[in-house]
Amino acid sequence: METIILFAPLLGALLCGFGWKIMGEYAAQWVATFFLFIACILSWIIFLTFDPFAHQGGSYSVQVLTWIESGTLVTDWAVRMDRLTAIMLVVITTVSALVHLYSFGYMAHDENFDDEKESYRPRFFAYLSFFTFAMLMLVTADNLIQMFFGWEGVGLASYLLIGFYFRKPSANAAAIKAFVVNRVGDFGFALGIFAIYMVFDTVNFGEIFAAVPDKADETISFLWAEWNAIEVICFLLFIGAMGKSAQFILHTWLPDAMEGPTPVSALIHAATMVTAGVFLVCRMSPLMEFADSTQNFIVYVGALTAFFAATVGLVQNDIKRVIAYSTCSQLGYMFVAAGVGVYSVAMFHLFTHAFFKAMLFLGAGSVIHGMHHEQDMRNYGGLRHKMPKTFWAMMIGTLAITGVGIPLTHFGFAGFLSKDAVIESAYAGGTDASALAFWALVIAALFTSFYSWRLIFMTFFGEPRGDKHTHDHAHESPMVMVAPLGVLALGAIFAGMIWYKPFFGDEAKVDDWFGMAEYHGEEHATLPGAAHAAEGDAKDDHGEKAEAAPPGQGAIYREDKNHVLHDAHYVPTWVRLSPFIAMLLGFLTAFQFYIRRPDLPGKLAENQAILHQFLLNKWYVDEIYDFLFVNPAKWLGRFLWKKGDGAVIDGFLNGIAMGVVPFFTKLAGRAQSGYIFTYAFAMVLGILVFVTWMTLSGGQ
Amino acid sequence: MQSGDLSIALPEIILSLFAMGGLLVGAYGGKDKLASLMLWVTAAVLVALAAWIGFQGAGTATVFNGMFTDDAFARFAKVTVLLSAAAVLLMSESYMIKRDLLRFEYPLLIALASVGMMVMVSASDLIALYMGLELQSLALYVVASLRRDSVKSTEAGLKYFVLGALSSGLLLYGASLVYGFSGTTEFAGIIQAAQGETPVGMLIGLSFVIAGLAFKVSAAPFHMWTPDVYEGAPTPITAFFATAPKMAAMGLFARVVHDAFGGVIGDWQQIVAALAVASMFLGAVAAIGQRNIKRLMAYSSIAHMGFALMGLASGTAQGVESMLIYMAIYVTMNIGTFAFILSMEKDGSPVLTIDALSLYSKRDPAKALAVLVLMFSLAGVPPMVGFFGKYSVLLAAVDGGLAWLAILGVTASVIGAFYYLRIVFIMYFGADESELDKGGSGILWGFLMASAAAMVFGVFNLFGIEGPAAAAAAALAG
Amino acid sequence: MDDLLREYLPILVFLGIATGLGLVLILAALIVAPNDADPEKLSAYECGFNAFDDARMKFDVRFYLVSILFIIFDLEIAFLFPWAVAFGDLSDVAFWSMMAFLAVLTAGFAYEWKKGAMDWE
Repeated sequence: METIILFAPLLGALLCGFGWKIMGEYAAQWVATFFLFIACILSWIIFLTFDPFAHQGGSYSVQVLTWIESGTLVTDWAVRMDRLTAIMLVVITTVSALVHLYSFGYMAHDENFDDEKESYRPRFFAYLSFFTFAMLMLVTADNLIQMFFGWEGVGLASYLLIGFYFRKPSANAAAIKAFVVNRVGDFGFALGIFAIYMVFDTVNFGEIFAAVPDKADETISFLWAEWNAIEVICFLLFIGAMGKSAQFILHTWLPDAMEGPTPVSALIHAATMVTAGVFLVCRMSPLMEFADSTQNFIVYVGALTAFFAATVGLVQNDIKRVIAYSTCSQLGYMFVAAGVGVYSVAMFHLFTHAFFKAMLFLGAGSVIHGMHHEQDMRNYGGLRHKMPKTFWAMMIGTLAITGVGIPLTHFGFAGFLSKDAVIESAYAGGTDASALAFWALVIAALFTSFYSWRLIFMTFFGEPRGDKHTHDHAHESPMVMVAPLGVLALGAIFAGMIWYKPFFGDEAKVDDWFGMAEYHGEEHATLPGAAHAAEGDAKDDHGEKAEAAPPGQGAIYREDKNHVLHDAHYVPTWVRLSPFIAMLLGFLTAFQFYIRRPDLPGKLAENQAILHQFLLNKWYVDEIYDFLFVNPAKWLGRFLWKKGDGAVIDGFLNGIAMGVVPFFTKLAGRAQSGYIFTYAFAMVLGILVFVTWMTLSGGQ
Repeated sequence: MQSGDLSIALPEIILSLFAMGGLLVGAYGGKDKLASLMLWVTAAVLVALAAWIGFQGAGTATVFNGMFTDDAFARFAKVTVLLSAAAVLLMSESYMIKRDLLRFEYPLLIALASVGMMVMVSASDLIALYMGLELQSLALYVVASLRRDSVKSTEAGLKYFVLGALSSGLLLYGASLVYGFSGTTEFAGIIQAAQGETPVGMLIGLSFVIAGLAFKVSAAPFHMWTPDVYEGAPTPITAFFATAPKMAAMGLFARVVHDAFGGVIGDWQQIVAALAVASMFLGAVAAIGQRNIKRLMAYSSIAHMGFALMGLASGTAQGVESMLIYMAIYVTMNIGTFAFILSMEKDGSPVLTIDALSLYSKRDPAKALAVLVLMFSLAGVPPMVGFFGKYSVLLAAVDGGLAWLAILGVTASVIGAFYYLRIVFIMYFGADESELDKGGSGILWGFLMASAAAMVFGVFNLFGIEGPAAAAAAALAG
Repeated sequence: MDDLLREYLPILVFLGIATGLGLVLILAALIVAPNDADPEKLSAYECGFNAFDDARMKFDVRFYLVSILFIIFDLEIAFLFPWAVAFGDLSDVAFWSMMAFLAVLTAGFAYEWKKGAMDWE
């Protein structure tokens, strides 16, 4: 079953990408979608039936093929199935399946291509399916090499899809940017893998995790100094995660990635690929737990990103960019949760975020589709009558992301539960970093609420602005596009409430869910087989605070002294209320600005011109990068191209090919005089040289 | 007398008797009326002998007081020589008839040359070596000037003869030095005499012997005869020159340096490496200037000999194996290429400039494709078999500690790729339509296609020649 | 190295003597020899070559053929002679070897005869 999930999208991609000429465009699209729905259904079956206690160590692995065997480097194609994988499987396949379906409508007529002459749809679907395959490869990997394969595979798919409109220079530039910025992160990731292999002599997750406690004090030298090995590894891995998950300083590619078609943004740049970094940190939790400094660093970066992206989101006018910065910001939330050591909460937010963010994107896509590819919110307005279904979908998405729910209960939209869990965990973190993160996240929550409502108000309320013709022809999207919104709406509403306990219940619940509890079973019974049986009974006996399982047991790991999850349930009431209040404030401000006094934003922007410019230009990060890296790199590239490649290498080769070789050719031709005595002379010369050589060098 | 001795050399004896018998039958029978029949019979005899030798049991036997050795190495070389000689004979029939050149002596001379070559690769004594070499050479001198009324052909024969005599002289002189210092002409004795403190005189003798052998394989700087003789001799003869004698001479070369001088590898290694480098570069560079396809193939074969010598220069069993594989591939490629050259005709008369191939791909796509495959293979472009030949000799050189030689070899092959690819370029992207005749002999077509197909399908297991080649190498240098 | 060169010293000496002797003989011929030509001395040889002429002149290829054939049988005699002298002491192998040689030679002879190599015309 796991293998089918993994390879169905690949099969779909291949059939669709290479077979569409045979079966026709429409059929090819259906083939790809069909395979994804199969994968999706199977994933849900696995997710709902997965029982970590049925397997030794809370996980099991399905061998597919042997890949590399070289000395101690042994890598297999294998599916590691545990709770983390199961969660990611449903997220990926569900969103992907829905996005496939949605794309039928969205890609039906694309002005970037000539419908008559070009077939772009099978290509699009094949890329989507290929992306899904690579992403599944990433999350099901049972070793780092396979994970890296998936990691690069999604990078490739992302590159291809961002640059899908290859005639648009901006799309190409964005694709290249995404690729290059990700390389920076990938370099860190690769170094991390090397370091792990150096320290642990294996790349297999199970073996690494089991060996972590022994290696906790080992040091390696890196950049001319001795460091704690685990810290270095975790730091390098996190660099990789930063690149993929668009954390601050490596975030610049994500907003630009919105050049891709909107379904792509929903699938790759909101729900799945960008969360790979969070997944990586959670997957490597047994290591992360031993790297306190890196954890702090993660918290800082996460908090900074959450705050930064939210501020930028306040002033953006492109509907997709607003959501893109929102994604960036929400990823920061996840990293904060992972950084303080509550990986289950990070996964929780990842899980819920996938639903409501995909939904927001697809909703935005629906608006864009209805508005003939107009993306500037300043040209929207009053669209709720034209596209009521989209409006309600977006409303649900916004309610979810802003975190609407009944305070102090577990009743609310998905974002309410997961985001509050993150903020409470940050407060409970108990370090300087987490205290700072707490405030950053609360403020970010306020901003989130503001820009989300701003989006809603500018798009769906008020007077129609912009091109009248466009507004007259604005229309609701077809059923294939609206239906996925409905499904995602279910997730956005209920996902938080249903899975609150397993992700953020008490420690025992979480340990059960992630399969970390078997350790105790072994205390009760010595036989491993009996351990499972005993576990079933023992489940309820766990106290309030369970003892930590060893690393490698279950999907994630929590250090013995890590009680953040426990403490998060006992934070002061004002802390629990703070995100709600922030949300309310944000909503009211947005309401004031965009419904009651639509002139206010303009005035404010004029008053605070510097701040506004600063935010509008995204903190000038891109400009700084242009100055620091891009221009020097371009200069270097041009230098190497013109001088290095053109003058030196080409010159050298051309010189040889057109100067030296012909010279010798002529010489050889002249030597071939046709006279026997010349020939004999050459032979005699040859023998002379040989004899001299032999006499001088031989015989010793 | 040991009748067992005779039975070991039975293939050679049979072939010589056949040749002499054929001579008398031809002279007293129908003369040239029998020529065609004689050609087919000779080819059949050659193939039959090849099959017999090929399926003969394993093992090593040294007979005639150590003068004649029959081992896996000799068998490998003999099979290659006999098959290629038979192939060239069959290819030449139509050409020879058309040019009124088909004398009944022609197949018999080829047969006699084959006897000489068989003796060469089996020789384990300097005298046997020389006898085989001369028997081969004399036959070749004659066939080179087979076309007596053509100035070029007689010139080719004469040049070959005079220079061949010079090289024989060098070789004999070297042999005499070796004999003088070791006191024996037997390889087994020489290798013992060369143990320990090797007399310099013996090494000088070795230099002369190598020079003589280098002439036979046309390695630079003893190559000068090759382009002129290739160009002057009738094309089928050129095809013969390019195949069987090369194999035999390389085999002899390997046998001398390993069987007689296996103890002083370090001494001859450098000379063989120098020969290899000179040949590879000269072959690559000089061929660029050629527009005549036969001269071009002459330089091509010089370069190829350089590569084969590179394998030999490594001084290991692996090197010998790679050299044998390389030679077998080389012979196969050349048979196909010459089958094509023989079929290059315009209004019934042969055309030899490569410019005549302009846009040949439109004229005859199938043949053009086959030539493309062969050219790629000659240039060593993967996945053609030629690449694997080059790869194996390069690998042998690297493993033998001659990485610099391998690097030079790669460089030379890059330069050399130019002229092979130019032929392809002219065939596919030339300026004007080729006016070469279509069709032509079915035999030639068959050989061309078979050779090209071998270059493609051989990549799977090289038709299993690796096993015999390894056995042959083990017999020699193991 | 020095030893090697010293071994070759006699050769050097011989080279010197040979060159000197050659020069002496040529010079002696120039100085001492009488130079009185008569018609017999200047007339052509039986083979048709002039006594005093360029060494690189053309000549009839048939001379060449005859001389080749002559050499073959000349060598045959040179080979046969010791064999014949020691005939009484020879083994069977030696006897049959010579028979084989003669057979080959005879075959060649028969061929050349039939091909007309012996006819002047």
